[in-house]
Amino acid sequence: MSLRYRLILPLTLLLAAVMAYPLVFSAWISLHDYRLTRLYDVRFRGLDNYLYIFGDAPFLKAMTNTLMFVAGAVSLELVLGLGLALLLQRLVRFQNFARAVLLAPMFITPIAVGLMFRFMLSSELGVIPHYLRLMGLGVDWFSADLALFSLMLIDAWQWTPFMLLMFLAGLEALPRSPFEAAKVDGASPWMTFWHVTLPMLRPVILVALIIRALDAFKVFEYVYAITRGGPGDATEVILFHIYKTGFRFFRMGEAAAMAFILIAITLVLVVILYSAMQRK
Amino acid sequence: MNRLCKWSLTTLMTGTAAVMISGASLAAELNIIIEEVPDYDIVKKLTEKFEAANPDIKVNFDAMPFDAMRDKILTSSLAPSATYDVIIVDNPWMEEFSRAGYLTPLDDFIKADEGYKYDDFIKAVADVGVVDGKTYGVPYYNYALGLIVRQDIFDDKGIEVPTTLEDYVSVVKELTTDDFYGAAMQPQKGYKIMEEWKNWLYAEGGELFDENGEVIINNDAAVKALDMYIDTYNTAAPKNSLNWGFDEALRAVSSGKAATMLSYNWMLPTLNAKGGMSGDLAGKFKLYEVPGGKAALGAWFWGIPANAEDKDAAWKFVSWITSPEVAKERVIAGGAPVRTSVINDKDVWEKGFGKDYYTTLQGILEDAAPLATGPHAEELIEIVGTELSAAVSGQKTVKEALDAAANGVKRTQ
Repeated sequence: MSLRYRLILPLTLLLAAVMAYPLVFSAWISLHDYRLTRLYDVRFRGLDNYLYIFGDAPFLKAMTNTLMFVAGAVSLELVLGLGLALLLQRLVRFQNFARAVLLAPMFITPIAVGLMFRFMLSSELGVIPHYLRLMGLGVDWFSADLALFSLMLIDAWQWTPFMLLMFLAGLEALPRSPFEAAKVDGASPWMTFWHVTLPMLRPVILVALIIRALDAFKVFEYVYAITRGGPGDATEVILFHIYKTGFRFFRMGEAAAMAFILIAITLVLVVILYSAMQRK
Repeated sequence: MNRLCKWSLTTLMTGTAAVMISGASLAAELNIIIEEVPDYDIVKKLTEKFEAANPDIKVNFDAMPFDAMRDKILTSSLAPSATYDVIIVDNPWMEEFSRAGYLTPLDDFIKADEGYKYDDFIKAVADVGVVDGKTYGVPYYNYALGLIVRQDIFDDKGIEVPTTLEDYVSVVKELTTDDFYGAAMQPQKGYKIMEEWKNWLYAEGGELFDENGEVIINNDAAVKALDMYIDTYNTAAPKNSLNWGFDEALRAVSSGKAATMLSYNWMLPTLNAKGGMSGDLAGKFKLYEVPGGKAALGAWFWGIPANAEDKDAAWKFVSWITSPEVAKERVIAGGAPVRTSVINDKDVWEKGFGKDYYTTLQGILEDAAPLATGPHAEELIEIVGTELSAAVSGQKTVKEALDAAANGVKRTQ
């Protein structure tokens, strides 16, 4: 074996042990009726698990909820993050202080954020509904219609700072000359933003979108801490559904198949975003 | 110098020998997984006596919240050598775990144990621990549901506490005003709504399965029970309480915002405790049987894992903590009873929460049925509980939700 192969051998073995083996094993599980409470009776089911899942209403609902959550939360964070970055860039004094304060939510563990908002938004105990009521507004944040949206807002509260951080770094790295040229040509601030800032910032935006979208697919803690997927199945998201199927009902075969479908969907999304990034 | 060396060597050897001897005399160490609830505090305290009487057995409790228990028990049961020598089993898990071969049949231990009085356990509770004729669990404590009411309000208004579901619904509606509610409900998706609604289902004569094992969760009785439940939620329960579970409902009742709730029977002493959560309202609460008389039964059981190393030592502890004498002490200290002799003990009435409470409790327990049975009870509760919540929140009609529940349940069987 030549030296270069020998050099990558340890890493290859490590990756095989910690990634390939579990992946292959879960692929094997996904083709079987594999229940943790019936390990003496594991049956081969072929693609039945996958076929069943595609027609399974709770799974499809969980997938739709997740896609809506990702789209809603990430676009909200994009708009807010970009807006805040543009404002913060102009801030002359206290810029570092403002930055530190705005980044704070990112450092809190999501389960704590979930618990915090569970109480802050609770109709009976919460401070937010209390003040809304004083203004004459009665909003039930965790009703069937609003619960998923409330979770998006919580996600936006916690992760807009991440977008802000990315965009601020992006904005500061942009060359000054195109902006000066635009100013000389008499472009309005809006035109400068639309035709100069945004196109130049595109690569940063796309990277931020990919990172946040992948992360938002993994939403679990808010659901676990606040709604448990309810009311009904209004906030049942895919990871919570997989967790329930696998670790509470012990149906590992179906849970593994769901996880593979989730991987496939995420991969498609990443490929689409990447190709958008490479298009000039 | 040499002498010092010799001396220390001798000391070391004697010390080692002493450690070895004491190690040999400690015959067993029992690791017990247990849920962090008030009853655990009592068990933990009582166990000091067990350890004093059995110096060769050391008991370690691994106390944790409910959510963490199921998978810990599973991993311990799947491992070649068990992490836990004694486990507690919730009633929906009983059949699942015993059929999976995780639990040791206890019949021989029970037979050989003189003075244990297994028949003294309340039958409806003890029966949950029996699967296919074998006893896999002995009762630890019950959490059967009862109707808790603000007796002062009923007395003031001269209203009888309702015994049928129809009466209950009309009474709680009558008691509801703009800022006071007739019933604090717990319509939270999954376990909570199922635990509450199952009592309504019983009151209307429904069940999950008929005698032949057919799913009947979408029959007329179920539809009527759910219609009434939703109607009551919309007219007599606190606004925006769709996500409410046990804690929120309890808080509404204890803070004087609601007149009644269906809850665990042992919440009554907590509500009535002087200087407790209810403030001035302490002493004004009373326990009744649920409307319709048949309650949803919850109970925890002691079990010994099939892969536990020292089953004799494990049984020694389980038998001790559930024995008539210790069970009595546990109940006097505030634990939830599971033995007939304890419930009827005058000493318990006096030192505990009064005769009234225990007599009502006996009535509840005698006519109670488990929340769900079968090897997939946990999943079944979640499936039905999700559909019920979908109906209450208006995402599905009552019939749609119950049909979906029936299909889901059929699939798990």
